[in-house]
Amino acid sequence: MDQKLEGTPKATLQLAGRKITRSDITNHWGTRLQWRVSRDGKEIATPICGPELTFEHADKTPGKYEVVLQQFHYVSYAKDKDGKFTASKYINISEPVSYTI
Amino acid sequence: MLHIGNEYIPLCSGTTRRSFLQLGATAMSGLTLANLFKLQAAGAVDEKKAKIRNCITLFLVGSPGQHDTWDMKPDAPEDIRGKFKPISTSVPGVQICEHFPRMAKVMDRVALIRSLHYNTGSSHENGQRWMMTGHDFNEANKQPHMGSVISRVFGAKGALPASIVLPVPIGNTGTSTPHGQEAAYLGSAHAPFFLGNDPARADFKVADLEAPKGQTEFRVEARRKLLKEIDDLQRQVETSSTLARDTAYARAFNLLTNPETKKAFDLNDEPAKLRDRYGRNTFGQSCLMARRLIERGSRFVTVNQFDTVFGISCWDMHADGGSLNNTYADYEHVLCPQFDLAFTALLEDLQQRGLLEETVIAVISEFGRTPKINARGGRDHYPSAWTNFLAGGPIRGGRVIGSTDKNGAAPHDRPVTPPQVVASIYQAMGIDLETTMLPGPGGRPIRFIEAEPIRELFA
Repeated sequence: MDQKLEGTPKATLQLAGRKITRSDITNHWGTRLQWRVSRDGKEIATPICGPELTFEHADKTPGKYEVVLQQFHYVSYAKDKDGKFTASKYINISEPVSYTI
Repeated sequence: MLHIGNEYIPLCSGTTRRSFLQLGATAMSGLTLANLFKLQAAGAVDEKKAKIRNCITLFLVGSPGQHDTWDMKPDAPEDIRGKFKPISTSVPGVQICEHFPRMAKVMDRVALIRSLHYNTGSSHENGQRWMMTGHDFNEANKQPHMGSVISRVFGAKGALPASIVLPVPIGNTGTSTPHGQEAAYLGSAHAPFFLGNDPARADFKVADLEAPKGQTEFRVEARRKLLKEIDDLQRQVETSSTLARDTAYARAFNLLTNPETKKAFDLNDEPAKLRDRYGRNTFGQSCLMARRLIERGSRFVTVNQFDTVFGISCWDMHADGGSLNNTYADYEHVLCPQFDLAFTALLEDLQQRGLLEETVIAVISEFGRTPKINARGGRDHYPSAWTNFLAGGPIRGGRVIGSTDKNGAAPHDRPVTPPQVVASIYQAMGIDLETTMLPGPGGRPIRFIEAEPIRELFA
């Protein structure tokens, strides 16, 4: 019996300077959560989002930063020859927040 | 004083279970058979005579690798230590995998057993039987699941079955031998009740609790009366096996018609926030249901994290590129996070409800995984060393029992075998293994388990 993850997880983010505070996650699938950090449109980091509600990306290189909370959507365990999931993937579960350094 | 199940049998002062056995099973068989039927009829334990606790067993089908979870070897060569990093926990000096951040915070309530091992084969079924019955496989003498033993000895507290398995029985894990989740000689009356459905699904219903389509509860009740009349006739040729079937029928009807029983399985009664805390997935919602069932009178709930190792994301990380293609990616993105969330939710939920002191949590699996990462980047079956853990009840948390060598390949000190874990669970549940006998095959009194509990878990 393979698990079917139903519904859609949701969280809201609040930005204060570079510090981001997230809400609790509704419809939490239990799979890995990560912060997707991009600078000037390019992904630069995907650190794990643990139990803590706050996050501050350490990088202070000048640019426009966008941060969004993502959760892994498990659909099946199918992988390609390089071991990458083919159907399962990370999806955004919050609106992005952005700041400029 | 000795007792069989919950019945005290007066013996000469100082008689132990070993000397009791030496009296000879034949001499005791008449007494035991009578006790067996009396116990079956009594159905409930005398709570005044012993501190009886419950147990929730989380069975990690497929088996996590010890190097990648709870016995990390960061100083070992790369092809042994694996790709994950250790993190500190609430217990100084104890580290676990970085993908268990919540568990790291509650390690002071968990007792890790890092030196588990056996040497009788490495099939999943072999490990399942070892860890769920405490016995090696013997076709001629199949052994009952721990939950069946508890059902037999403690009986049911109310309308719910004493032993329940969530969400479904273990199915195909490679060979066609039993999985250790059967009642064996204890009979169908003590077989676990299998939920048979995924409680995380929006359309979840308990298959056995729903009247067949088109049948009203009135018709169900009418069928029960008819069945009773047939059973009365059958009693003229009654045998112990028909008695067991009667009990199974009665249990099924009780489940079908009792509103309280139905409610116990209804997760919609739980706050959405708590359901989220456990994780909206099969394992998480099964753990939440386990708490509800214990709270409402079940004594032993087993959660099978998976029912197979083929074609799904599970702990069996062979990375074979086919139907056993679990890899580090499954551990990192699915398995570790889901376990971390559900296990800690269960621990905290039980504690907040005042149930942790009376509920033992046993997290067990079939075996460990090979120290050396295979050519495809996975790890294969390895029963020579692995880690399981207990919490709750009288278990002293914040400790590590045993250790493995520098490569996590063999116990280094305090080797522990599966029967010792099972013995520890029985003791933690309140069974005095020195003075209590189990009604065995044919009613012959036997030891619960041929092992001593792990004393450090209780000291």
